[in-house]
Amino acid sequence: MNKEDIFKLIVCHSCEVIPELEGHEFKPSERLLDLGANSLDRAEIITMTMETLSLNIPRVELFGARNIGELVEVLYAKLQSA
Amino acid sequence: MQNYNQPELIITGLGITSAIGQGKTAFTSAMMEGQNAFRVMERPGRQKGTSFLGAEIPSLTPSGKLNKRLLRTASFTGQVALITLQEAWEDANLDEVDPSRIGLVIGGSNIQQRELMQIYETYSERADFIRPTYGISFMDSDLCGLCTEQFGIGGFAYTLGGASASGQLAIIQAIQALQTGKVDICIAMGALMDLSYLECQALRSLGAMGTDRYANEPARACRPFDKNHDGFIYGECCGAVVLERADSSMRHQVKPYARISGWAMNMDGNRNPNPSYEGEVRVIKTALEQAKLSAHEIDYINPHGTGSIIGDETELRAIGDCQLSHAYINATKSITGHGLSAAGTVEVIATLLQIKESRLHPTRNLENPIETSCNLVLGQSVSHVIKHALNLSIGFGGINTAICLQKI
Repeated sequence: MNKEDIFKLIVCHSCEVIPELEGHEFKPSERLLDLGANSLDRAEIITMTMETLSLNIPRVELFGARNIGELVEVLYAKLQSA
Repeated sequence: MQNYNQPELIITGLGITSAIGQGKTAFTSAMMEGQNAFRVMERPGRQKGTSFLGAEIPSLTPSGKLNKRLLRTASFTGQVALITLQEAWEDANLDEVDPSRIGLVIGGSNIQQRELMQIYETYSERADFIRPTYGISFMDSDLCGLCTEQFGIGGFAYTLGGASASGQLAIIQAIQALQTGKVDICIAMGALMDLSYLECQALRSLGAMGTDRYANEPARACRPFDKNHDGFIYGECCGAVVLERADSSMRHQVKPYARISGWAMNMDGNRNPNPSYEGEVRVIKTALEQAKLSAHEIDYINPHGTGSIIGDETELRAIGDCQLSHAYINATKSITGHGLSAAGTVEVIATLLQIKESRLHPTRNLENPIETSCNLVLGQSVSHVIKHALNLSIGFGGINTAICLQKI
């Protein structure tokens, strides 16, 4: 799975968790928080993405990501080393 | 339990979701026609090599006004609660009320068993991926969070449990909250009890849930007060009623359904599922006393009437010995099935709608009554102007509740 695929996955799960985002043009620089995701929503989106990727890592390892693009980078890196 | 200087309390709104209809209009017409939705249940998690009978809500239609984010993560019980409360909210025009003066009591405990069972089965081998919302939703009180966020209720909200009397117990708690002035308006909900196959099996093994006798004729299985009864048949349902003080209500455009004239609850001191004749007599007498009514003034009884052999017999004996044999009796559960935690509220709603319609719904499958001295409504609806109604609920663990409703 490449970075583009992971980005699409996050977009897909974000729209599922926040139906109002359907049709929104997501950008890697955007933050889930700014898109209306509260802490529970963000935890849901991340867990759903990790499950789809079959990536079982401590959540703390994702804490550094400041926007969707950085989240993609971290997930991609973890996937490579998994 | 008695109360003095009781303010006049009225019911100004209701919401109902059931297997025979969503919303009061659909429910009323299905109830009066004696429709049913009993069949082998199909909701995922209800069967495991079994074929339990029951009445399941065929489809839910949430209005566009409900928050989709809440609906997505709400359990089935939670979704039904939101839909039901919305009807009651709009029925009582609560948007015009200061939300900090509105309270919510949700009757029912352990009400999401089927949903929890499914989550266990899905995630037991991969717990790391369990949805974070499960950390909120596994608690019954999540319904309080869902409902208060959606409607902005700011007074108080909590759940309470009283087994199959939970729905009436919620109304009694709402009454007490109004009597003490804690809030001006209080909503009481009987939450949908979502059974998994394990609860179904245990309730059947206990002898409470009906047998397979009518497996090939599910519509005939639920038979309160009939000689061929052998236990209750489950039915998914949820009800909500809006209570307020008549003297503090400036909301003239709201038309009340009925006045609450009396109520009572007591315990048998018995953990077991069997009913108590003495407890039932006592709760009826206390409710009538509080309502300042004599037995002959009650002209309609909505009983607990589940279809349990010992339960039905005990209840009719208690009713008869309280000099209430003249009052019409029908069994709403013959139509809806037994909603357990929801039953008490749903049956108060059935009573309110019958008061409004001046008509009593039929009792399905009541072909050979176990008692002929009581005034049971059989297979046809009956035209009757209810003046004073008595609603009864009984729950495992020896709880008895009663509520008197008066036509306005």
